[in-house]
Amino acid sequence: MGNFLNKNHIRVKETASDWEDAIRKAGAVLVSENSIETAYVEKMIQSVKELGPYIVIMPGFALAHAAPCEEVHRSDVALITLKEPVKFGSPNDPVSVVLCLGCTDTSSHLDMLSSIAESLMEDGCIERLSKASDVDEVLRILGG
Amino acid sequence: MVKIQTVCGFGCGSSLFLKMKIEDILKENKLEAEVFCGDVGTCASAPCDVIFTSEELADRIMGRVNVPVVVIKSFVNKKDVTEKTLAFFESLNK
Repeated sequence: MGNFLNKNHIRVKETASDWEDAIRKAGAVLVSENSIETAYVEKMIQSVKELGPYIVIMPGFALAHAAPCEEVHRSDVALITLKEPVKFGSPNDPVSVVLCLGCTDTSSHLDMLSSIAESLMEDGCIERLSKASDVDEVLRILGG
Repeated sequence: MVKIQTVCGFGCGSSLFLKMKIEDILKENKLEAEVFCGDVGTCASAPCDVIFTSEELADRIMGRVNVPVVVIKSFVNKKDVTEKTLAFFESLNK
């Protein structure tokens, strides 16, 4: 799992004023890694506005993503935790962990995402992540 | 073989989480089915026996499909996903 999410793709205790800001903060990590363009970040926000907060798929956790498109240079993921959780308007609010996913097509990222999903769906994982004090701790939680 | 479609906005993110959860449950309960991901736009034209999706997307799907639509609120709530998966399989035997 460590193969996919390295230190550069994780930020801990980010501050976000609302859910849009939380998606922008997570997206900014992939922009800085040159995996996506800023336009893709806006598409992720737009998709929540259109389809609703279904991306909050479990308590405390949002999977921000949009459809595969040319603004994604390579399939990649970033994970941020929030200092103060934000509300998306979902029954699984409030959200303190955001995973941002960019994919170039609907299949090339599946191994990467399923390996991360396996860790994230373990009992108590999201809660432990939200309390993690630094990036190394996040890596330990996801790797263990 | 029973075909289960998990649906999210674009068929490449949250539907994968749900697919994995359902596959775990099928394995534990010794049930067989093909589980595949779909997106809210095209799910109606993908042949399947049942659709599993989130609360917010269900409204967009119901009425457009003639298979049961099962709503999952939290994809990690194993009890909920298990009960709904088993209930679907039971409905097949009626």
